[in-house]
Amino acid sequence: MNFHSKPLVLPFLFFLLAGSILFHAQAQTVRFWYHFDNADNPMTSLVEKFESENPGIQIEAENIPWNSYYDQLYTSIAAGDAPDAAMVKLNALPRLLEMEALVSLDNYFSNWAGKANVQENLFELTRAADGKHYYLPVQYVILYLYYRADLFAELGLQVPNTCEDFRTVAKALTRDTNGDGRPDTYGFGFRGGKGGHDHWASLTLSRNGVGFGKGQLTSAEGVKGTQFVLDLFQKDKVFPPSAPNDGFKEIIGAFQAGVTAMTIHHIGSSKGMVEALGNKVSAAPVPECGGGHWTAFGDESTAIFSSAEDKDAAWKWISFLSSDGNNAEFNKATGQLPVTKTDSAKWNLHEKRFVDATVASLPYAQLLPNASETADFTNSVWPISMQRALTGQIDARAMNREIDSLYNP
Amino acid sequence: MGKTPFRHSFQVLPYVMVAPSVVVTLAIVFVPMLQAIWMSLHEYVLFRPKAIQWIGIQHFLKILEDEVFWISLQHTVVWISLTVPAQLLLGLLTALLLNQHFFWRPLARALVIIPWALPSVVISLMWVWIYDANFGILNEFLLRLKLISYSIPWLADPDTALYAIILTLTWQGFPFFAVMILAGLQAIPKTYYEAAAIDGASVIQQFFYITIPGIAGVIFTSVLLRIIWVANSLDVIFVMTGGGPGYATHTLPLYAFVEARTSLDYGYGSALAVTFSLLLTILVVLYLTRAQRSIDQ
Repeated sequence: MNFHSKPLVLPFLFFLLAGSILFHAQAQTVRFWYHFDNADNPMTSLVEKFESENPGIQIEAENIPWNSYYDQLYTSIAAGDAPDAAMVKLNALPRLLEMEALVSLDNYFSNWAGKANVQENLFELTRAADGKHYYLPVQYVILYLYYRADLFAELGLQVPNTCEDFRTVAKALTRDTNGDGRPDTYGFGFRGGKGGHDHWASLTLSRNGVGFGKGQLTSAEGVKGTQFVLDLFQKDKVFPPSAPNDGFKEIIGAFQAGVTAMTIHHIGSSKGMVEALGNKVSAAPVPECGGGHWTAFGDESTAIFSSAEDKDAAWKWISFLSSDGNNAEFNKATGQLPVTKTDSAKWNLHEKRFVDATVASLPYAQLLPNASETADFTNSVWPISMQRALTGQIDARAMNREIDSLYNP
Repeated sequence: MGKTPFRHSFQVLPYVMVAPSVVVTLAIVFVPMLQAIWMSLHEYVLFRPKAIQWIGIQHFLKILEDEVFWISLQHTVVWISLTVPAQLLLGLLTALLLNQHFFWRPLARALVIIPWALPSVVISLMWVWIYDANFGILNEFLLRLKLISYSIPWLADPDTALYAIILTLTWQGFPFFAVMILAGLQAIPKTYYEAAAIDGASVIQQFFYITIPGIAGVIFTSVLLRIIWVANSLDVIFVMTGGGPGYATHTLPLYAFVEARTSLDYGYGSALAVTFSLLLTILVVLYLTRAQRSIDQ
């Protein structure tokens, strides 16, 4: 550098710095809320990859604790401080639509090449009651029955296909193994706390003519289903005594510790199960009850909120998460199943037996009603009435009546 | 000598000094209170913003017919009337012990603060495991001592859940009484005890005629504060049982919280909170009147 160019250096550096600041100031920020239980999540690497592919868009991804996720989401929308995009479940869709909080994604879908790579039935499942799409599927699971294959082999038991089989094996698996006069293994880890409605549903809603329509739960078959659950706890005593309060951690912990021999959950917990139990744990579809089959379809999608400043930027981010390769990375953290066909075809994160149980359950995997009452059902009406029924404060008919009157006032 | 133009000069400085705290108190206490009262008089469901409308006292009339309100009120009465005396008793015993001389007294005084210092969530999770029906140490101890013949699901049984949480809160709150009463004990002149001993008073008589009157003021204030704090506390219950099983551990503040945050019915939740505040205010006024009279006597 010669003497004559030195005076140009400072102005050059100044404009370079100013340009950098201005560039970052103009970079569009997309605020994204998610809920990962796994602390070692790849959201950071996904954000970095997206930002390198999309200069000019910055992602502020925030992990919100699951227990208060929807509390915070709804209150943030009401307060005008909603994120631009977030992970959402179908049972929140009616409320979010009532709040006019969502952006229709139909125009984005029609111009998106990645749409063909997402499993078609997921688009149908996530369609809103008004026929539009507000959700973009990002992962899914289907609930199945975990069982201790070693205990089954020890006792010469077969995997239960029907509710009657289920009751028989659960009773056989409830044992006093150390001779102290008290059972120390139980046949089934029932989740009586919040989130356990899927357990009850598999044993009740499967029955012919039983659903959430008016009078269906209070019919003889409906009451019989709930009574079946109550009898398992109160008469057969195949649930641990803590069942009325047990949540996710309790049922998984009890199963891994050998306190229970069966429970219901999904592929998201399979990695932990294998780490704890190895080949002793296996999975099968939930039993058929009362002539039918019902298991929960665990959905998860992303959505763009109507308050988002740059909806196009938000769309780029959420479509990135549901595209080939990125969707696989996303699901490596959550342990759930990818929605893209290409990622599903080469998916090897989970042991085959759990994938097989999931796929075998797909034909009868169902969602709860797409109504705003479902949030009340899952958050308060079901857990409270189930706990009261299990502890004998109300009977099966009273429990079903509470649920029926919620959906059919 | 001339007359002064004003008999008293107006001092602005005290008001200026107090103003910031008044503003903050208004903003974080009184404004939310007024907002809660406003919401309690409206149909205010968070996910139905277009349906917000004035309904007057409809929520309060609904409360009178709400079975869960009466269950929660009953539990709240039990909650306060067992927890506060238990904390007071344990705190008093602890303070009396800590007022004695022993070589590790400084360490003991520091350790006794731990339950009070731990976050409520940590305490709740810790006690959930203590009470666990499969792995909890409480059941293990009681079984080994042959006081019970089978593990009790303390938090899953509606007959035991509330009392189990009361025990947890007693453990959490007794250090407050211990510290306050200890300070009161140390303010009582030792000469009183010496004079009483010379006059032939027994230890028990000294306790009732010197110690208790000497710390009466401290107990009065501490109990008042604890009634208010215990009545309002919901964090421990929320983490340990969420109000269950069923409604077994529902208290009024918890019920109001659940209605507002989970069901998103801020109108009804606020009405429950306002009702509870009125009831608590009546209780506090009654306590102040009665207790002050006893102290004056």
